[in-house]
Amino acid sequence: MHDPAEMPARLAAFLALQEPDAGPVEVVSYEVMTGGYSRLLARAEVVWPQQDRRATYVLRGDPPADRAYIVTDRTREWEVLRAVVGRVAVSAPRYLDPTGEHLGTPALVIDHVPAASLLGYMAGRDDNRDLIGPLAEAAAAFHTLRLDQLPAALDRPASWQEYLNDRIDEWRRTARDHIESLPILRYVAAWLDAHRPPPVALGLIHGDFQSANLLRADDGRIVVLDWELAQIGDPREDLGYFRAVAQAAGPDVIGLDDEAFCARYRQLTGMTVEQLNPSVLAYFLVLGVVGTVRRMLEGGAAFARGDNHLLSSVFGQNSILFGQSMWLAFTEQLDASAAAPEV
Amino acid sequence: MFTRPTTDQILRAVADDLATVVLPDLTGEPVKVAVQMMIQLLAGCAVRAAHETAWMAEEGAAIEAAVGGLDDPATRTALAAYRAAGTDLHLEAAAARYDQAGEALGAAVEYAYRSGDTAVAGRLRQLLAVRSGHEMAIVGALELVGRG
Repeated sequence: MHDPAEMPARLAAFLALQEPDAGPVEVVSYEVMTGGYSRLLARAEVVWPQQDRRATYVLRGDPPADRAYIVTDRTREWEVLRAVVGRVAVSAPRYLDPTGEHLGTPALVIDHVPAASLLGYMAGRDDNRDLIGPLAEAAAAFHTLRLDQLPAALDRPASWQEYLNDRIDEWRRTARDHIESLPILRYVAAWLDAHRPPPVALGLIHGDFQSANLLRADDGRIVVLDWELAQIGDPREDLGYFRAVAQAAGPDVIGLDDEAFCARYRQLTGMTVEQLNPSVLAYFLVLGVVGTVRRMLEGGAAFARGDNHLLSSVFGQNSILFGQSMWLAFTEQLDASAAAPEV
Repeated sequence: MFTRPTTDQILRAVADDLATVVLPDLTGEPVKVAVQMMIQLLAGCAVRAAHETAWMAEEGAAIEAAVGGLDDPATRTALAAYRAAGTDLHLEAAAARYDQAGEALGAAVEYAYRSGDTAVAGRLRQLLAVRSGHEMAIVGALELVGRG
């Protein structure tokens, strides 16, 4: 997918198969994109001369196995995108090559969205508090989808309690399965177990809800990209995850006014103050990163064993180390605030 | 064996050259991202080269002192393995010994929370904070290159 000499013809043939009645199709440009650690990305300009039609697409495909930072399923991502498009601002899914038979690797063809990256948009501004509302609206838009609107391929936990047990236990499993001892992860699991928040209804979670996966459209809406890690879970995990990533690479839009964010999100989702407030957000800031932590640690362990040779696998360990310092700080703060007398 | 310049000096010099000589001449974004990662990794390796053997030994001794009196079988087992691991300073052996100390610390933390002993939990958290402080000295200023 990263061979610009070969890909225009392959893509044109693939698109012709998808829309046999649309006439000849030409790929007039094809360029490799950066921006994602996990998938191969490319942008293509496509024309159908007989229909006087043009489109700009993004191809999102799997890297070769020995270059795969994490393993996810393009068909599952396709199904999630099909479920959320029209309800959430996304890069609309157009075509799927589930096996790589046509595009050389399993890949999605999705619309290119002419919108600014949220990171770039925020970097040029002194005050980003006006993004709090749109961010809450973007998250609530998919967090409030009913489970029966979601793909059958997504696992349905039996209950919130069972789900949270499993998430906390994932910290323990991650520590146990790693190539060396991880006492801070075991501490995090013990702490999370001792400080459980009130339950909420399970829903679709993005799984990698961070500024780098968001765009800002001209109409002010937030466009949500990269659904490869979507699953059914506690929606507050996405919010905590957003804050967690923003600690390492800000700005932390939610943290600019976490009370205001929580109020707007509660208004949109019907959650109570007990279910979502800044302290609960901080709990999920820790809990919500476990999936990413596990995948990054697996990458680092694979490198240590010689199973992969990706510098990005080693580089990812830095984020874990940063995370560990953050988890210690946040749990200590929450303990201190819980112990402080109310005034 | 030459010890001067020290390993960390050499690694820092390589990182500096990558940043000031190589990086400005690069044009392809994926290559620039790869080199930026290399610079950060080399800087971290320089700190590790300078300190990690000492830090592992210091943390291990502190863990041994803190968890030695706990009445927890998992902690005792890990601590016994740590004590039996010898004093070999070669990196592989030192890392294996540090791993056993970390296992003892993790077991002790779980014991403290399981038994509701907040005083022990607080002391152990201080050890975790020391460990994390060393880790952050290695990471330095985290920059998530290639993001977005």
